[in-house]
Amino acid sequence: MFNGIAGGGAEDLPQLQSTMRAIELACSYIQINTNPAAAEATILSLHQSPQPYKACRFILENSQVASARFQAAAAIKEAAIREWSFLSTEDKGGLISFCLGYVIQHANSSDAYVFSKVSSVAAFHRYSFSRILGNDLFRIFFFWRYMYTICMLIVSVSQVSEFSPSTSSAMSLPREFHENCRKSLEQNYLKTFYSWAQDAALSVTNKIVESNSDVPEVKVCNAALRLMHQILNWEFRYSKGGTKGSINVFSDGMRSDTASSRKTECVIVQPGASWCDVLLSSSHVGWLINLYSLRQKFAFEGYWLDCPVAVSARKLIVQLCSLAGETMHRSRAASAPPSVRVLPWIDPPDVISKEIEEGRSGSEMIDGCRALLSIATVTIPVVFDRLLRSIRPFGTLTLLSLLMGEVVKVLLANSNDKETWSYEARDILLDTWTTLLASMDGSGVLFSFSNLFTNCNFTPIVASASATTDEDDADCLASVSAMDERLGSYALIARAAVDATVPFLTKLFSDRVARLHQGRGTVDPTDTLEEVYSLLLIIGHVLADEGEGETALVPDALQTHFVDVVEAGNHPVVLLSSSIVKFAEQCLDANMRSSIFSPRLMEAVIWFLARWSFTYLMLVEDCNLGSNQLQSLPSRACLFTFFNEHNQGKFVLDIIVRISLTSLMSYPGEKDLQELTCHQLLHALVRRRNICFHLLSLDSWRNLANAFANDKSLFLLNGVSQRSLAQTLVLSAYGMQSSDASNQYVKDLMAHMTSSLVDLANNSDLKNLAQQPDIIMLLCIRELRGAASATEPRTQRAIYEMGLSVMNPVLRLLEVYKHESAVIYLLLKFVVDWVDGQISYLEAHETAGVVNFCMSLLQIYSSHNIGKISLSLSSTLLNEAKTEKYKDLRALLQLLSHLCSKDMVDFSSDSIETQSTNISQVVFFGLHIITPLITLELLKYPKLCFDYFSLISHMLEVYPETLAQLNSDAFNHVLTTVDFGLHQQDVDIVTMCLRALKALASYHYKETKAGNTGLGSHAAGQTDPNGVFHEGILSRFLRTLLQFLLFEDYSTDLVSTAADALFPLILCEPNLYQGLGNELIEKQGNPNFKTRLANALQVLTTSNQLSSSLDRLNYQRFRKNLNNFLIEVRGFLKTK
Amino acid sequence: MSDEEHHFESSDAGASKTYPQQAGNIRKGGHIVIKGRPCKVVEVSTSKTGKHGHAKCHFVAIDIFTAKKLEDIVPSSHNCDVPHVNRIDYQLIDISEDGFVSLLTDSGGTKDDLKLPTDDNLSAQMKSGFEEGKDVVVSVMSSMGEEQICAVKEVGGGK
Repeated sequence: MFNGIAGGGAEDLPQLQSTMRAIELACSYIQINTNPAAAEATILSLHQSPQPYKACRFILENSQVASARFQAAAAIKEAAIREWSFLSTEDKGGLISFCLGYVIQHANSSDAYVFSKVSSVAAFHRYSFSRILGNDLFRIFFFWRYMYTICMLIVSVSQVSEFSPSTSSAMSLPREFHENCRKSLEQNYLKTFYSWAQDAALSVTNKIVESNSDVPEVKVCNAALRLMHQILNWEFRYSKGGTKGSINVFSDGMRSDTASSRKTECVIVQPGASWCDVLLSSSHVGWLINLYSLRQKFAFEGYWLDCPVAVSARKLIVQLCSLAGETMHRSRAASAPPSVRVLPWIDPPDVISKEIEEGRSGSEMIDGCRALLSIATVTIPVVFDRLLRSIRPFGTLTLLSLLMGEVVKVLLANSNDKETWSYEARDILLDTWTTLLASMDGSGVLFSFSNLFTNCNFTPIVASASATTDEDDADCLASVSAMDERLGSYALIARAAVDATVPFLTKLFSDRVARLHQGRGTVDPTDTLEEVYSLLLIIGHVLADEGEGETALVPDALQTHFVDVVEAGNHPVVLLSSSIVKFAEQCLDANMRSSIFSPRLMEAVIWFLARWSFTYLMLVEDCNLGSNQLQSLPSRACLFTFFNEHNQGKFVLDIIVRISLTSLMSYPGEKDLQELTCHQLLHALVRRRNICFHLLSLDSWRNLANAFANDKSLFLLNGVSQRSLAQTLVLSAYGMQSSDASNQYVKDLMAHMTSSLVDLANNSDLKNLAQQPDIIMLLCIRELRGAASATEPRTQRAIYEMGLSVMNPVLRLLEVYKHESAVIYLLLKFVVDWVDGQISYLEAHETAGVVNFCMSLLQIYSSHNIGKISLSLSSTLLNEAKTEKYKDLRALLQLLSHLCSKDMVDFSSDSIETQSTNISQVVFFGLHIITPLITLELLKYPKLCFDYFSLISHMLEVYPETLAQLNSDAFNHVLTTVDFGLHQQDVDIVTMCLRALKALASYHYKETKAGNTGLGSHAAGQTDPNGVFHEGILSRFLRTLLQFLLFEDYSTDLVSTAADALFPLILCEPNLYQGLGNELIEKQGNPNFKTRLANALQVLTTSNQLSSSLDRLNYQRFRKNLNNFLIEVRGFLKTK
Repeated sequence: MSDEEHHFESSDAGASKTYPQQAGNIRKGGHIVIKGRPCKVVEVSTSKTGKHGHAKCHFVAIDIFTAKKLEDIVPSSHNCDVPHVNRIDYQLIDISEDGFVSLLTDSGGTKDDLKLPTDDNLSAQMKSGFEEGKDVVVSVMSSMGEEQICAVKEVGGGK
């Protein structure tokens, strides 16, 4: 229909014209806002009419109204997406060539938005597009006028073709198809495009060189360069060999490089071997460099450095520096030229930085740094260093450190304004260092390289690093760990030269501390404080790694260096650590505290101690060893033994505990500090058993425990810290010799709080009392919760008893505090944590007790909250109230989930038979109590929704038989929510609902097949008293699911889960399924579609030897069938 | 914390309408007095003053009676006034023509000094529940000498 020039012939002309006029009119109506509804309807009808191509084409070619053309373009796009799968090949070709032709003809017209719409149609069908383009391009290539357009077009295509699943589903084509397009484009066309672009650029280069000013050719050249850049950015996948045969449809195309965590982007170019000739021919690189060196010519006009062509050229050069993969391996040496050519941008650093400060643009310098980063990414350090040897007396590493020093110097000088070039350059250079140093660690040949680094002078870098942290802080006041990443990079550099840096840092630190003491009381210490603060942070990073979730090892660099040290007292690391501990100890003195130890400095001290003690304190030889071949070094031995339990360890531990108590008691209201102390320092201490053992013998630790149980000032801690403190103290019981002793310890620790809670609850005047000093009350609960969450096998008894004794008080308090949502939440959370910790250990009778307790809790909660309407004075408060309710409900759902886990994990001594409580019934009963509280409004909170549906789907999957026994009200309620969940947007939730359905239907099918009733009356459907027949639950869901699959929008990821649910449903209700199928077929007007649909339905249930048993194989087959079925029919079913 | 101490605390604070609490410990959802008004805190942020100064808390709070928004900044180690906020449930006995309601207290007396709430939704609920003859329980929130009906609940009865 797009082939003939005049389409269907002259007789259609009047009709086409009238359509055009109608659309034009509608468009103009919309613009002047008269009768917008009717106008919209007109436009919509165009968009939705089947095969509107002719009309659209007519409008595009003839209409004078830009917005009408826009609408027509949009309509083509929509229709093409909709109907693509059943257009004939001819039509497709016609459509695409029309679109392309239109784009090319109108490239110079002003209405860019029409252009973009049409070109996106073209781009959309990228596969065919690239094929056609391949043929046509030669013909039109020499028309310069189009050159720019073409380039831009290809650029847009290569950008679009980051194939996203969303577009693939819209066309209802499988992902595989797109992968094939991708493959063909990559293998067959990219290189050709690249050479064209190169040719194009080459041919205009001369003109640019000859002309004096800005000529149009510059634009062409720029476009070509951008295209080349874009092509190199392509994610090359198929040229790496090996995996050629099969296409991995589901690989997400993640690059396997290390660049992901970096601040600066660095894409490794891996175009594969076939690109060698194009990319590495010396003329190519040479031409590019020459082009760039034109800057000499334009330098006086001052516009060159930042003009688009220069920027694109530079980008391309940087990219060429990072050529990796097979291309690289063929001729590694060939990469030297570009890297050497980059040199003038960055060398000598001091001269260039001075020029930049005097007003030159810094972009060249930054790109130079980027090139260094690229080279560093693809070469090993030795080669990296050698690159410059041929033309300079020093290696690249030296240049790098010079550059770094220079950049940091500039950064320090202009510390006040941020977005300067030095800022960016610093980040890039840091990344370069990280890349180099990290690749060294990996190869494990540390020794051979270390001499490389000794040549470079790191000290200035580290010094300036510690100084830079100052002003970095200024913008991230927030917390100690905020600049972790950057400090980590500095530390990596410092560790590369520990021989120099550790003594240097020691000296620097003692120097600052001395200055602090000298000026005490007389000089404003802020600057020095700030320096000490930064030093503590950087030393922390140098000495220890972050031990998140694993045993922290002493860094290799520190273990292997200082070989000549034999006495522990002289080991630089020991010296440095000791001097800091000594400094920190001074905070115990009240005078010192007020004059020196500001809250912020304390934060740094605590942070350092946490990190340090986790790595060095009381090491157990075997677990903190690291690599074995280093064991014999004497220097290592003294580093390890100095802080162990026989040496200084205990003494230092005592100091640390005292410091942490001080920070908790003497810095009231400093939330961050207290959190650091509780979460990091104390937690780090109780993580190792041998330390716990010593802790318990320390007076200072006993003081801490005492203060926790009795002292009022610790009650004032912020809630989270309080909880974590309780947790820590209970965890330290681990260090007790026997389990009895541990239990006794926990009991003693918590007894006071428990009894006060019990007393309060039994107070006859509770109702009046409770309303008054409520806050003090809260604290006890929070501590109990902390303790509950620290349940370990050893202390389980004590905590169980603690919980048991407060059960009734908790219920009482729940009653009294029904209006105090904060208290309610705490109580609920306590119960949740307690049940979570305990449930799997409990014996049958204890379980029954706990379950009863939970049920009464649920009942009390719901009786207070059902049917309650609160005042909505302000929307904020209303939202708050809703959020509180949501949190409560979520806690209750969690409680139920924890109860569920009893059936899965059970450590009790009872045998299975004695299991007296039927957990599933209990949970359904609980659900029955709280579901009325869960309104649809509340299910809009994603977390609540998620919890609710994961609980439901779990219950249905594991206990379908219990569901069958529910009364019809409860049953219906559960299934109504499942129905609701099916229509959610969230894929996870729909998946869970589908899984629930699958469980339900397959249960019913299996049961009925075995001669049982299965879901019984629920499934059979029933006639209500009014004589109206309600169909069974499975029929209802079969209907819903089919409707969902055929007519609604959903992610393609859902199809296989839906297939799993649909299959048993069909088996359960074969008759209904037949009926629905026939109904669908009847509805189709087009006889062609009718037969297609009938065939597809037939194939769905019969192909692939599908049989009627529910086993894994059948599910798999059905999944495949459904996929094919949807591809076949969804396109036209969705078209109206 | 023993019970005696509770008594001590409360007897001390009994006369006053507020009690002191460290600013750093007042959390979102708690109460605070700002400019003499009892408020509910909807936002707390801590900031550090200067490089080595003490932390300060910034409160955004909403007046529990008038719903006006108020803000305050207090050093986190200082004390703030926290209002006593009481909520008492009464049963609704009558709604009079002039918009006053009469409520049944625990001791069996009546309390007639409260008006219907200004919130339409709430008062409609009260009226409809009352007309249908259901048992309607209202919560009255009182703080710093002010009182207001803040919630309504129908308790099944009255059928």
